[in-house]
Amino acid sequence: MKHRIWLVLGLITLGLLAGCASSGPTRDINDPTNSLVFGYVDMADAPTSVNSAWITQVAPPSDTPYWGLGVSKGLFYNSYLPPGSYQLSKLGGSGFFAGQHEYSFPRQGNQTALRITKPGIFFLGSFKYKKAKSGMFEQGKFAIEKINKPTEAELLKRILDESSDIKDSAWGNKIRARLAQLKS
Amino acid sequence: MIPHRLTLARARLAAGLLLVSMLGACVGAAREPMDSLSGLGGDETVVVGRIELVPPLRKDEQKLKGLNSGSFENKVFLFADEHYRVLTEEPVMADYAGRIEAILGKNFFVRSHSKPFFILGGMMYLDLGGREMNRAYFPGGLKVSLKPGDKAVYVGTVQYHRNEFFEITKAAIVDDYDRANTEFKKKFGAKTPLRKALLTAVK
Repeated sequence: MKHRIWLVLGLITLGLLAGCASSGPTRDINDPTNSLVFGYVDMADAPTSVNSAWITQVAPPSDTPYWGLGVSKGLFYNSYLPPGSYQLSKLGGSGFFAGQHEYSFPRQGNQTALRITKPGIFFLGSFKYKKAKSGMFEQGKFAIEKINKPTEAELLKRILDESSDIKDSAWGNKIRARLAQLKS
Repeated sequence: MIPHRLTLARARLAAGLLLVSMLGACVGAAREPMDSLSGLGGDETVVVGRIELVPPLRKDEQKLKGLNSGSFENKVFLFADEHYRVLTEEPVMADYAGRIEAILGKNFFVRSHSKPFFILGGMMYLDLGGREMNRAYFPGGLKVSLKPGDKAVYVGTVQYHRNEFFEITKAAIVDDYDRANTEFKKKFGAKTPLRKALLTAVK
């Protein structure tokens, strides 16, 4: 019986870890054509925090356009995106009272649109969730507003601190070089 | 942008879809597509034109699921009004009255009063059904110059150029009269001339 409790707890932990790791198509983290794309969203005014995020590849066209992002306390990132055009498509989260929520971004007029022509490190920005007015028959709406904090450097440091996979990969040096560039 | 509470989302989406289905019911009627000139009143005109997207929609780029959603396939709702105004917010039900429902890449032939009117903008569903409702909007600010006595008027092809993020980068009015006139004659006969009066930008 005691073992079963540990098994259940273990499975829950695995489930939680899976929630933090990115999903969708994957590539070798050291592929030289990879780009690191990251950003932050402050969900303090949202019904839930965020535990999953997706970015959509809008060009070149793909049969598997949705790339999962790693998520940790508002920080979201993917370290193996090939060259192309992308925009955030969805955030997901759950709360004890609020239940499961999905936050869908528009396909037109999306503030997170990004074109990657050359591999590199791309900061989508830091954003804050804002509730937006909606009509009687409309679903609840939200907007995201660009904020100054956390900065690109603060988030890159967090990625290094929180992801040993990234720290120990080719990204480790690239991130440190970018941090040095941001400092100067 | 839309947050979905998954338990509540379906109920809200149902309301949204109801609203969508109301486009064909309670919301003011669209300009009627014409197949014959016999029912055309003395103060009415057939307006002929076309909407094109450049590059065109790819297969599966428009994701329509659920009952009746197929009727929105490749369809652009053009908001039309005799009084010019700038749409600054998401269109409301009243804005849909008198709309033109244009299928991308196909000529439309719709009944209108023989009075000038304006294209205020356009909308197309990109995602509809499931938990999604995503729309693309198109710029307007175009004048349709109808005159009393007009029976049929060709207004041109509006080409909306877009980038990969579905932002409209350019809108051009293209004169494709010969092709439209050939289709017009085939549909309505050669007796009624199709006058050319291309859309003009509102100044």
